[in-house]
Amino acid sequence: MVEEIKKNILQMIQKVPGVYSVLITDRDGVQVLKVNTDKAPEIPMRPGFLSTFALAVDQGGKLGLGKTKTLICSYPQYLIVQMNKLPLVVTFIANNSCNVGHILALEKQIEPTLSVLSLAVGETYM
Amino acid sequence: MEKQLDRVMDEVLTVPGISGCIFSDKQGLCIGVKGKASAESAGIMSAIANQVAKLEPDNKSPIIVYENDNQSCIIQQQGDITAAIYKTGII
Repeated sequence: MVEEIKKNILQMIQKVPGVYSVLITDRDGVQVLKVNTDKAPEIPMRPGFLSTFALAVDQGGKLGLGKTKTLICSYPQYLIVQMNKLPLVVTFIANNSCNVGHILALEKQIEPTLSVLSLAVGETYM
Repeated sequence: MEKQLDRVMDEVLTVPGISGCIFSDKQGLCIGVKGKASAESAGIMSAIANQVAKLEPDNKSPIIVYENDNQSCIIQQQGDITAAIYKTGII
């Protein structure tokens, strides 16, 4: 089943030029699933980097704009898009010139996969 | 800042047959939407325009038209901005 999910996600990201990898993690940055292309960089995949999303979401909640849905970070080389699907977090690592709007549009496509995975993670937390 | 874009969008919607319009920046993020159009499609519109522009790199800004039986969607990219207009009825 995992292989099938990975294949689906890979097909999905190959349609968006510039996306290097997709990581599905829990809120502590522990990897549940990783789908890479050849050019995927290692640095943004560290749990230390990924887990900062949970902190950012908590801080973002204080802005009074409601629950934080997405976090977009633009660095000189990379662009990181993280989506709040707690208990899961979806991270897209892409080239800085990548189409952010297109990545955001993948949210709906990736949701069915997440519902399967979040069940597994939810049970583990209980 | 967006007053000018708002005015343009209002102007576009006054044309008979036009049901909605959407504008996105070079990163595919929505900068304005009015009428029957979804902000979520901004990225796709921009991606379509970028891909189609590769067909003939020497000719700039192609106009892309998607049609079905009862409506059409016209997409054009100029500079960093991509615009899409939804029109009822075919062209």
